[in-house]
Amino acid sequence: MKNTPRLEKRLRISGSLIIAGLLVELVTLRWSHPTAFLFFLLLGGALMAGGILLYLYSLVSSDRTEADGAGTTD
Amino acid sequence: MPGITTILISIIAISIVLIAIIVFRPSITATRGGKVLAFVALLVFPVLAGGMGVSEQMEHSKTTGFCLSCHVMEDYGKSLHIDDRSFIPAVHFQNGMVPREQACFTCHTNYTMYGDLRAKLRGLRHVYAQYLGTVSQPIKLYTPYNNRECLHCHLGSRSFEEGATHNQDPQTLPKLKANQLSCTTSECHNLVHNVSQLKDAKLWQEAGK
Repeated sequence: MKNTPRLEKRLRISGSLIIAGLLVELVTLRWSHPTAFLFFLLLGGALMAGGILLYLYSLVSSDRTEADGAGTTD
Repeated sequence: MPGITTILISIIAISIVLIAIIVFRPSITATRGGKVLAFVALLVFPVLAGGMGVSEQMEHSKTTGFCLSCHVMEDYGKSLHIDDRSFIPAVHFQNGMVPREQACFTCHTNYTMYGDLRAKLRGLRHVYAQYLGTVSQPIKLYTPYNNRECLHCHLGSRSFEEGATHNQDPQTLPKLKANQLSCTTSECHNLVHNVSQLKDAKLWQEAGK
């Protein structure tokens, strides 16, 4: 259970990154200019991809820690 | 029926609300329902919003306003209003031969598989040249203009197939269709944007604008 705060921290960071990415997407959606396209692609895309990957990593790492913990108890 | 943009904005708003719940109360992910919520909020909705966002941005990037939003393109936008029938882009734009809201894209995309993608990659190169490189003056195409882009609309049309000039020499039409004789540089339709002549040109004023 000691990994729970770490998992929660990762979920918080992941969520914050995705929200930032979505806000970038929202702003660039209303701005028709090549710079907006770049912002959307490079900044928004990177933030969202980073957030999603961190979420997926937190799932995998939490499962692994739980499995390791179960093994130790047995 | 709501437009794609409205649906996308709604998805983004719902995603932000759901993610905010997880950010402020991450402990809810300990329950099964919380796990499902996290999966939907942190994976399904963002992927959906990102995909729809790419599609919307691609549609934006096809608009004439998008192309002309760069200062360097202003004169090319003005050249669409030259009041002279011999200027090819102007006559196409003014007579609705290309959709006015996608005038640049209609002639400057590649009508091939992945042609739109290639056009967008060229666009990224333009942005690079604009901010980090040098923009050639006057602007030049990277490769000679391919007749394929003209023939996408003109092939099979009566004025093209039966036009007197096109049929004067029996070799002309086959050569045009095979891109061996350029439409724009063979002294026939060579007046394109020609922004250097813009200063003395009379411009057409669209009614109501």
